[in-house]
Amino acid sequence: MSTSSIRNEFDIDTEQVFNRMGYGTDGVPSARVESLVREYADNICHLVEPSYSYVIRDINSVRGSRVFIEGSVIFRSNVIARLLERCQKVAVFVLTVGGRLGEVVHQLSGDGLMVQAAVLDAIGSDAAETLAHVVQDIVGKEAEADGLGISQRFSPGYCDWRVSQQRMVFRAMGSDTAGVRLTDGCLMIPQKSISGIIGIGPADKVESYNPCPTCEKRDCVGRR
Amino acid sequence: MTEDIISLIRENVIQGRVTQDDEGLDEGLVGRPGVTELIEKALAKRLDVRDIINKGLTEAMNLVGQKFEQKEYYIPDMLASAEAVGVAMEILGPYLARSGIKPKGKVLLATVKGDLHDIGKNIVMILLRGAGYTVKDLGNDMEPQSIVNAVREENPQFLGLSALLTSTMVNMRDTIQALEESGLRDKVKVVIGGAPVSEEYAKSIGADGYGSDGFQALAVIESLTST
Repeated sequence: MSTSSIRNEFDIDTEQVFNRMGYGTDGVPSARVESLVREYADNICHLVEPSYSYVIRDINSVRGSRVFIEGSVIFRSNVIARLLERCQKVAVFVLTVGGRLGEVVHQLSGDGLMVQAAVLDAIGSDAAETLAHVVQDIVGKEAEADGLGISQRFSPGYCDWRVSQQRMVFRAMGSDTAGVRLTDGCLMIPQKSISGIIGIGPADKVESYNPCPTCEKRDCVGRR
Repeated sequence: MTEDIISLIRENVIQGRVTQDDEGLDEGLVGRPGVTELIEKALAKRLDVRDIINKGLTEAMNLVGQKFEQKEYYIPDMLASAEAVGVAMEILGPYLARSGIKPKGKVLLATVKGDLHDIGKNIVMILLRGAGYTVKDLGNDMEPQSIVNAVREENPQFLGLSALLTSTMVNMRDTIQALEESGLRDKVKVVIGGAPVSEEYAKSIGADGYGSDGFQALAVIESLTST
């Protein structure tokens, strides 16, 4: 799989954007914030250059909390191991909405235009999530063609999967990382990028996988 | 008259209105003077800069902080107010020294090595400036040794360190260690903040304080200033 670009016509979920800015389900944004979010959401196509890449790898073995993937890739995480022991293959992906949006956020923030910066940053995060759904759908269709199902997405930093494991995700990708690079601190550049895995296996085993009973992060906001 | 202008400054900071063209949280305010016009008017009338800051900006931000804590205000509302204060302080800057107003203290801010996130740090910077501190922003992705060098040169009372990632927050500890090794640790109070860090983490790495958000960071620095 080589890097693919898609049309940058993002359907931004403004409810999610308000959520990211702390409004939750009960908060009501002011008319000013609402109009700013809509304005940026409508014009986001001028600021993003979406691209993604994914590879589908064989899972060689799972031992304890280690998963051995073809290409000398070893994922270390109890949550990921319990997922991938149900799977036959794993899709490893990297995607980005490009660097321009981040530059504009940085510029706005540096100029003291904090509201605009925060709104655009939240919209950029939603654009990246939207692109991740696109990649998930593509992997899902590929799996379906083989009579298999897919799991939800997991990224380094989720559950007990350490951020430093970004290095293994990028190793699995080989040289094609959709133009995204990793810093020594495992930060992805451009910042509005997502990397991770999607398990591929029998639908009845992978689609219902709930990582929470396996994970020891008791205070996690995403705990189910 | 003095009180009128200052109370209008206060109200417009709370509304997050930088100029007369801005909407506020409440409707129907476009066209009325915003913080920029009101500060200029206050200066033209030679109002005491100390009153403008203390009774206008600082009191307003205290109220915004309360509203934020009570979930009456959300992050963008708080940011709009912080923006207004930031602009006010830019205009007032040249008048501070002339009025004999001394800053409460000097703060250096940095996002630590490996991390490029700066929105949170910039919010803290505006709140600190509005509260009367001199703030120097060292920027992002700052090596521990570069921060040590800046502390040596600038001699601040406070150092604020920010990180957004679990993979980069460890560089806060390295920075504090580098301060210790250089013999500067006792000269500066270190306050940390950012999504992955906590009060416990601050204690574990030997920081002097932790701010869970911009207002908390300001409160911690204010409390350390008075000790």
